[in-house]
Amino acid sequence: MSLAYQAVGWNRQKKVYDGWLAVGILLYLAVFMVLGAVLFPSITAETLLIRGFGTASFVLLHVILYIGPAARLFPRLLPLLYNRRHMGVSMFVLGLAHGVLALIQYHVGGDQFPLVSLLTSNGDYASVVNFPFQLLGFLALGILFLMAATSHDFWLANLTAPVWKALHMLVYVAYALLVAHVALGYLQNHAAPVTTALLGLGVLGLFGLHAAAALREGATDKEAEADNGWVYVARVDEILENRARMICAAGERIAVFKYEGKVSAVSNVCQHQNGPLGEGKIVDGCITCPWHGYQYRPKDGASPPPFTEKIPTFRAKVTEGKIYVDPKPLPPGTEVEPALIQGEGVA
Amino acid sequence: MKQDQDEFYVGYQPKAPAGIAGAVRGTVVLLLLLGAVAAFLIVREQKDIAAALFEFGVVREFEGVIAAKPYPMLRVARPDAAGDAEAFSRYLLVAPFKFGADPIVAPFDGKKVSLKGTLIYRDNKTMIELAAEDALREIGGGVGDKPVSFGEVTLKGEIVDSKCFLGVMNPGELKTHKACAVRCISGGIPPVLVVRDGEGTVKTFLLVDRNQGQVNQAVLPMVAEPVAVTGELVRLDDWWMLKADPESYKLL
Ligand code: HEM
Ligand code: FES
Repeated sequence: MSLAYQAVGWNRQKKVYDGWLAVGILLYLAVFMVLGAVLFPSITAETLLIRGFGTASFVLLHVILYIGPAARLFPRLLPLLYNRRHMGVSMFVLGLAHGVLALIQYHVGGDQFPLVSLLTSNGDYASVVNFPFQLLGFLALGILFLMAATSHDFWLANLTAPVWKALHMLVYVAYALLVAHVALGYLQNHAAPVTTALLGLGVLGLFGLHAAAALREGATDKEAEADNGWVYVARVDEILENRARMICAAGERIAVFKYEGKVSAVSNVCQHQNGPLGEGKIVDGCITCPWHGYQYRPKDGASPPPFTEKIPTFRAKVTEGKIYVDPKPLPPGTEVEPALIQGEGVA
Repeated sequence: MKQDQDEFYVGYQPKAPAGIAGAVRGTVVLLLLLGAVAAFLIVREQKDIAAALFEFGVVREFEGVIAAKPYPMLRVARPDAAGDAEAFSRYLLVAPFKFGADPIVAPFDGKKVSLKGTLIYRDNKTMIELAAEDALREIGGGVGDKPVSFGEVTLKGEIVDSKCFLGVMNPGELKTHKACAVRCISGGIPPVLVVRDGEGTVKTFLLVDRNQGQVNQAVLPMVAEPVAVTGELVRLDDWWMLKADPESYKLL
């Protein structure tokens, strides 16, 4: 349902979101800078800024990566995903400030071009613990830049959703690079058990959340068995009115909605940013994506005019209170007669 | 998909249902708290910060005799000197940024000068970063210096650039500072060996070769690594100097 690229425009909720994001970042930096200056009076301003920005960026990256699986586990947290791209851009800007200051402090003003110095003077490529950790931060920053630069819907539309999604999965590569950047850099300076433990917790927490979310979705992701081409979805009474059950069959993720005594099946993947339509709800007669509210009609997967997005649809049937779908996707926008639920007493 | 309550909210709606709004509000408060706690835990562990100082922006005047070799220094007569043991203090001299002062002081070797610069100090070791322009003015002739040998020793420590270590950067040593130390030493800042006795005492030794020549380029591969250096220990007024050929340094 986008007109041009304005679908997710400015509104009060986004301003509230960004306001709290700013409060969080400033609170972190204030605690870090003020305490740092008080506890270590001889610390230089450069070190305080470099460390403050670097750690703020890395902590924020954890928040960004955590809220994805957290929202899958606790759907009530979905609103936190709503403007996550601004978190991403803020995280990049903090990382950039850290990287540029570090580059200036450690490499500018010497007898070598700073970027050459970055590549040649901070470690030993043949060693693990002495690996040039700054290069790892530099590479991560490059990835974060690509992501921040393409975060706008303009790029999403022009790169197509799958390419965009693949690009944004690189965030995990950047994350791994940064873990190494910290472990092989700052943590080699001196024994810092609390910081080391925090880093370990950060990594474990991310794995844990993803594992928990995957486990939760295991039932949905497990290939449903096909019988005569029809795949069993659920009993009619297992799905709430206006809600869906997601299944995975023949490699397709399908969202099966129940509404007004009918059942319709569509692709689970939102055209906007691949949001999970099956976690959405039918609002005003349209399937509404939980991420940014793109809407699709259940019977043909098309956004209501004037919008033009279309998603694939699937045939569905109800026999003896059980719902089945045919996992062969029909071309996006194909109208399918909804299956009727008889004798279930649903209006 | 089952939910406790069938609330549904999309960000563009003006108001979220109570359950969702509560969960989100709670999470935001929790995240803010966690962020502040993380900042506290991380910052209080920055124990690699030394009591060292760079009087950035403060230019002072000094008087003394220039000793250009092995590394540029200013010898200043101590007002409180009794006898001749340490009648002079030596201030290492460096240029702005990551460069040594050799070309600037060369014409003044052995001469008494008035000099403008900014102090850098740590423990009882002091350095002066020369002012960017007209730092030195000749005001007379000087006295010769007399190094005193203390024989062969082996010392274990870390090679750093004296400028950052004495206070221009903090930390001015260790892994994260390695790149900068390499740049500075390569640019002519005197390399020193930092030796710790494990009980808080830190001593610094100027590194020179057996002929008392500079070793900047030769030590680059060993900067910020643990090394053992065996050589002749020599005292230059209140500075120690270690004479050994860099090929004989051992990485530990
Ligand atoms: C051009 C890119 C980068 C360079 C040259 C760079 C350089 C450095 C340096 C020199 C340090 C050690 C600082 C010190 O000990 O005072 C450091 C630490 C660190 N960096 Fe980076 N970095 C870069 C990119 C990044 C990015 C993109 C992030 C995070 C998003 C990041 C996060 C950190 C963290 C968390 C630390 C350790 C904590 C601390 O400073 O106390 N760095 N980096
Ligand atoms: S509306 Fe953005 S992903 Fe569906």
